[in-house]
Amino acid sequence: MVDVTAAIHGELTKCGVKLAASLPDDWVAPLIERIAADNQMRHVRVAREAEAVAICSGAFFGGVRAVALMGATGLLTCTGELATLNLRHQIPVFLIVSQRGSIDDHRIYQEVQGRRTIPLLQVYDFPYHVVDRPADIASIPDAFETCRMQKRPFVLFLTRRLVKGEETA
Amino acid sequence: MRACDAIEVLARHRGDAVAVCALGMAANEWWAATRSEDSFYMHGAMGFAASFALGLALSLPQVPVWLINADGSLCMNLGCLLTEASQGAKNLKHFVVDNGVYQTVGGLPMVNEGRTDYAAIARAAGFSRARTIEALDELERQLPGIAAEDGPSFTVLRVEPEQGFLRTPPMTYEGPEMKYRFGRALERRFGIQVFGPQGY
Repeated sequence: MVDVTAAIHGELTKCGVKLAASLPDDWVAPLIERIAADNQMRHVRVAREAEAVAICSGAFFGGVRAVALMGATGLLTCTGELATLNLRHQIPVFLIVSQRGSIDDHRIYQEVQGRRTIPLLQVYDFPYHVVDRPADIASIPDAFETCRMQKRPFVLFLTRRLVKGEETA
Repeated sequence: MRACDAIEVLARHRGDAVAVCALGMAANEWWAATRSEDSFYMHGAMGFAASFALGLALSLPQVPVWLINADGSLCMNLGCLLTEASQGAKNLKHFVVDNGVYQTVGGLPMVNEGRTDYAAIARAAGFSRARTIEALDELERQLPGIAAEDGPSFTVLRVEPEQGFLRTPPMTYEGPEMKYRFGRALERRFGIQVFGPQGY
C-alpha cells in the first residue's frame, strides 16, 4: 500500500521545492506535518491562505521553488490576490489543494464550494490537475514545470479517495 | 513629517536592501525617491506586500529586505504580523507609513481613525523590536540603528496626511515587465537563478 503523503512529499523534493506555506484543511494536514518535519524544506504556517500565495510569489524572486497548501475553501478566499498579483505579473505559484465538496465528501459545509471551484478556475484561466490515484502522484513534477511555463497559478487537487482511501465518507 | 520626506530618508539609508512596496502611496513615493528596479512595487494584492517580502527574505537570508508598507495595507491583513513574528527572519525590516487615511483614493479616513497603535499590535504579535517615529530628525537619528539591528523589526512612520488624491506618479512600467526587471536585477546582484534557461 502506497504511503500517499510520503509519495507526494517525495515528488515535491524531486521538483526542488525548498519552501512550503500552508493553512491546514484536514485532508492535507498529514502532508503539511510531513513537510514541517523536513529540515530541508522551510515551512511557513500562515494566518490566511492568500499569505501563502504571496509568500510563494516572493520566494520565486529569491530563486526558491515553493508550494502553497490549503483546502478548497481557502483557495476561494485567494482569488483576488491570485488575479492581482500572479496573473498581473505572470508569477507562477503552485498550489496543492484538497478537492473538498466532491461527490464523496459528505460534509454539508463543503458542498457550495464543491460545485463552483473548478468553474471558477476556468473563468480565471488557471490550469489545474486532479490527482485521484496513487499512480497519479508521479505527475507532480510535470505539473510543477507546467506551472512555471504557464507563469500563473496552477492548482493540483488531491481527491478524497487519494488522501482518505476507499473508506466511506 | 511628510510621507515623501520620510521615504526619502529611508531611501538614503537603504544600503544593499531590496525593497518591497505596498501598492499606492508607498510604492509611488519609493519609486520617486529611488527609481530602483531592484524593488518590487505591488500593483494589487492589497495587504500582502508583507507576505511577499517575507517569502523573499526567507529565500535570500543574507540579503536585507525592507518592506515599505502602508497603514491601509497593513490593516487589510493584520495576521501577517503573526506569520512574520513566527518566522524570525533576521534580514526583514517592516516599515509602515501611517498617515491615517486612504491617501490614494483622496484621503478618506482609515478604519478606527486615530485610535490604532500599530507598534503595540506588532509587539503583541511577537515582534521584540517595534517602535513609532513621528519626526524626521528622529528618523534620521534612529535609522542607522534600525538598519543594523537584527530583524524582524517593525517601525511605524507617523506622517501627515496630504490633501486630496495622491499626486506622486507611479512607476513607468508594470505587470510582466516589472516581474522581469525585478527578477533580472536580483539575478545580477546576487548571482541567483530566478528564471530558467529558457527564460521562464
